Amino acid sequence: MIKTLQLLLLLTLTVFATEKPTLTIYTYDAFAASWGPAPKIKKAFEKEHNCTLKFVGLSSSIGALRKIQLEDKRTKADVLLGLDTSIAQVAKKTGLFVAHELNTSKLDLPAPYNDDTFTPFDYSFFAFVYNTDKLKNVPDSFEALANMPKEFKIVIQDPRSSTAGLGLLLWVKSIYGDKAGEYWKRLAPHILTITKGWSEAYGLFLKGEADMVLSYTTSPAYHIIDENRTDIKAAAFKEGHYGQIEVASVLKSSKHQALAKQFLAFLHTQTFADIIPTANWAYPVVKSTLPKAYETLVHPKEMILMDGKTVQRERKAIINEWLEAIQK
Amino acid sequence: MFKGLIRFKSAVLPGAFIALSLLGFAFLLFLTLYGSQEGSLFTQLDNRIYGLLKFTLYQAFLSTILSLVVGVLLAWALAHQSHFKGRGLLVALFSSSLVLPTLIVVFGLIGIFGRNGYLNQASLFFFDHSFGSYIYGLGGILLAHVYLNASFASRALLHSFEAIPKEKYKLAKSLNFSVFERFLYVEYPALKSTLLSIGSTIFLLCFTSFAVVLLLGGSPSYNTLEVAIYEAVRLDFDIGMALKLALIQLSISAVLVVLSSGFRTGLANLKTSHTLIPWKEAKVLQVIQWFIIGLFTLFFVLPLVVIVVDGIGADFGRIFQAPLFIKSFVTSISLATVSSVLTVIIAVALSHTRRNFALSTRLGAKPFANVLDGIIAFSGNLYLAIPSLVMGLGFFLLYQKTEGSEVVWATAALLTANVLMSLPFALSVLTPAMHKTAQRYDKLAFSLGLTKLQRWMYVEYPYLKSSLGYVFALAFCFSLGDLGIIALFGSDEFSTLPWYLYQLMGSYRNADAAGVALVLLLLVLSVFVLIPRLFNGDNIAKNK
Amino acid sequence: MLKINNLQYQYKNADDLYTYNLEVKPSEVVAILGQSGSGKSTLLDIVAGFIEPSAGSVVLDGQELLGLSVEKRPITILFQNHNLFEHLSVQKNILLGVNKTLKDSIEEVEKVQDILKEVGLEAYEHKLASELSGGQQQRVALARILMRREPILLLDEPFSGLDDDTRIEMLELVQKITGEHKLHTIMVTHDIDDCNRIANHIYKMQNHTLVKQ
Repeated sequence: MIKTLQLLLLLTLTVFATEKPTLTIYTYDAFAASWGPAPKIKKAFEKEHNCTLKFVGLSSSIGALRKIQLEDKRTKADVLLGLDTSIAQVAKKTGLFVAHELNTSKLDLPAPYNDDTFTPFDYSFFAFVYNTDKLKNVPDSFEALANMPKEFKIVIQDPRSSTAGLGLLLWVKSIYGDKAGEYWKRLAPHILTITKGWSEAYGLFLKGEADMVLSYTTSPAYHIIDENRTDIKAAAFKEGHYGQIEVASVLKSSKHQALAKQFLAFLHTQTFADIIPTANWAYPVVKSTLPKAYETLVHPKEMILMDGKTVQRERKAIINEWLEAIQK
Repeated sequence: MFKGLIRFKSAVLPGAFIALSLLGFAFLLFLTLYGSQEGSLFTQLDNRIYGLLKFTLYQAFLSTILSLVVGVLLAWALAHQSHFKGRGLLVALFSSSLVLPTLIVVFGLIGIFGRNGYLNQASLFFFDHSFGSYIYGLGGILLAHVYLNASFASRALLHSFEAIPKEKYKLAKSLNFSVFERFLYVEYPALKSTLLSIGSTIFLLCFTSFAVVLLLGGSPSYNTLEVAIYEAVRLDFDIGMALKLALIQLSISAVLVVLSSGFRTGLANLKTSHTLIPWKEAKVLQVIQWFIIGLFTLFFVLPLVVIVVDGIGADFGRIFQAPLFIKSFVTSISLATVSSVLTVIIAVALSHTRRNFALSTRLGAKPFANVLDGIIAFSGNLYLAIPSLVMGLGFFLLYQKTEGSEVVWATAALLTANVLMSLPFALSVLTPAMHKTAQRYDKLAFSLGLTKLQRWMYVEYPYLKSSLGYVFALAFCFSLGDLGIIALFGSDEFSTLPWYLYQLMGSYRNADAAGVALVLLLLVLSVFVLIPRLFNGDNIAKNK
Repeated sequence: MLKINNLQYQYKNADDLYTYNLEVKPSEVVAILGQSGSGKSTLLDIVAGFIEPSAGSVVLDGQELLGLSVEKRPITILFQNHNLFEHLSVQKNILLGVNKTLKDSIEEVEKVQDILKEVGLEAYEHKLASELSGGQQQRVALARILMRREPILLLDEPFSGLDDDTRIEMLELVQKITGEHKLHTIMVTHDIDDCNRIANHIYKMQNHTLVKQ
């Protein structure tokens, strides 16, 4: 009798010991979606490491950060994936994240980025995307955009919740400086609505609710490769394009520190780099062969990018300036 | 010493206890909010807050005026077309707008008036012209507010129309009044007090409007204070800003409630009677009246039809299997049940105490009776003074400060909000009913020496049960359909049906969203129709 | 004997002071005449205990009634209307207040049947009050008086809503009950015919004071 008990105990212990750890990753919805990169990454990473990857998709990446802040010590997240370099400093200041201990100096980036806490995994350029069948008179600059006819509408994202929305604000700020508020006042009549995250905005655009949507130069690749349609294009702007380098980091509160850091390292592998262009529709941070469709895309020579520290300092003021300008 | 019909303690304690708890709660809330904010409040009223405040008041003002104008026109048309088939059904349908979840209404309105809505599609088909996008922004907010409030206003106004003595109409006819003169001298005086009371209620509701502005405001261009509070917490994690906004919101609505309390009265379920004016209206007037009725019926019914049409095609097999749907469904139903039971109990206790104060035979004249009565009345209307998002913020701060689980705090916050939200309506139905029962049967019941239990069983309950059923259904529907506080607490772990629907709409899963919207609509309508019947069940059986 | 001595009452915010003096012997019907608003019903409210007088006494066989709570006073009242709970059966209406429970005993039920016979409503016990005519309803109310057997009966214009024949029938029934059960009956009315028909004494409200005719 006692022997059986001991055996049972031993058995349960071994079961516990061999049970796979689960790594929980908070990210934005498009990344976690069934049609996003998450399933492929899950498959590849789980094959290499004996674990379960769990992606939790929030309406936006800043939304994911806020959720972690709200949950505080109770959070289940091990990794936060999907912030960009603009907001990373703000996130770093919360003290919720740990250093990644990776060497990121050899990454293939259009602008240098070295941070001890957040590490890049892909990049792209912000651009306004349109349908060539519906929009004939395509604006080629911010000035042209603001001077479009009255019924011309765009959808943008809220800079408080979406990195894309914040990116646009910083883009305008980099170009207009002190006159940014005045520019937003002129653009405001063309803004149909402001969504929480990228997916909602892009959905509205695809449904035909708006003429243009703030997205990426790489967005048309999805329609070419997956849908075989060439009518979705990104408008090239004379002033240049603001960039987005997406980053990931490990939570201090994570119980799977080693595994989480292995995951960050995985973001710099060739396997991951091959998944990104046709799943997250962005450029990988490791050199790899891009699909043919990428040759047809608008590819800005330079990436406009504000320094993370400047953003952290001025973000509130920039957002307030914007809120005041567009508020009716 | 004369004792009055009942003891002071038992007469007043339950109600007074509840009223004081409610007021204590409000005070604690204020303290929590005030104590949490840093720095001075009023030196930092920057342009943004000033702009927010201006727009919030502006849209509430416009919404109120528009709702009243449409409400008066509709009530006028209905009052003069007093006997056509289905009129009763129509009036009942319009009154259901009170319990329609705002989220559902917005969903339906987008289906009709959105850039790709049926109106634009029809116009494109026939005239090759699209009106473009006009639902997002002030237009959409006003449209939704008129939808929700004009029908509600028309019900009360119709009641006022029908209360006008027929002799006055005869007099107007004999004096050969024009329609305008008739309205000015006969009808308007009868509507005036209702207009004031219903107008101030609509203003308060629009001032604190959340779901409509969140979905149609084209955030954040058209923001109300409520939505700005939500965004400060959920998007910006800027609790300081949220606090500042919440305190401003709280002060203004408290002032508004106090100012309007003099003329804000019934929100009750009014029973309408048919007017019979013994002659027909002029042909032109008839056409106008039919046009108004027809147009508003279309405006009211089409969004609901859209929900049904779009919803029927949904893949219900998939929807019902989604774990989050099941979770939200169970949470919503349980919360609604508990909050409606609580609402009924609290409303009965408050009405009971108020009635004891109001009827001098019950307690005898007690000093301070009027003051206490006023306090209890105010405590029941707390919701109008404390917007739910502000209250949610209070709970949210407590949750942040304590180690308690999110679900516990969220449940507490939602229950409190639901009960407070239903109380003004519950009280306006129950207080007069209980008052009347007492006036009619007190002498008999007390002279017979019935015990308290006998009095409730034999006298109160049979007379109150239809009101109780109505209050229960009202509270159930309010709590089922509300998208307010849940916006602060909602997550995958704690979700209600409206929150789930909002998530689906946000992530562009339109087919599923349409299905869930239909489920929610059917749920609310069936509860609103069936529960009052359940309470009246044995009455109907006996009369057969 | 029921003695009402120098009973005084003043309404809030009003100058008029009402004064009542009255005597009722057992088996007597005393009628109080007066126009509406003359203060005659106020007397019944005071005697029943719904309102409190500023001075005076109400004494039944040596016992002071003022100060007793409503349910402890040896009184049954009959109002002009709302005497019955329409949603309850005749039997339940008669038995209300007889016991303190929600269930009635067999003896009580049997007694109801006897009493119903006496007021001419045999086999009506399971009907709902709402199904009865106005006259029948007042009969049920009278049946309740017989069930309760309280020595004081107060009638507040109880039959003014009924047609002449029924009213006369009811008045005679009251007279009969008062005699048989030795009740002290006070009837408030504005109808002089009613008074003449059954009253042993008639009082009248004059200048806020009750005066014997």
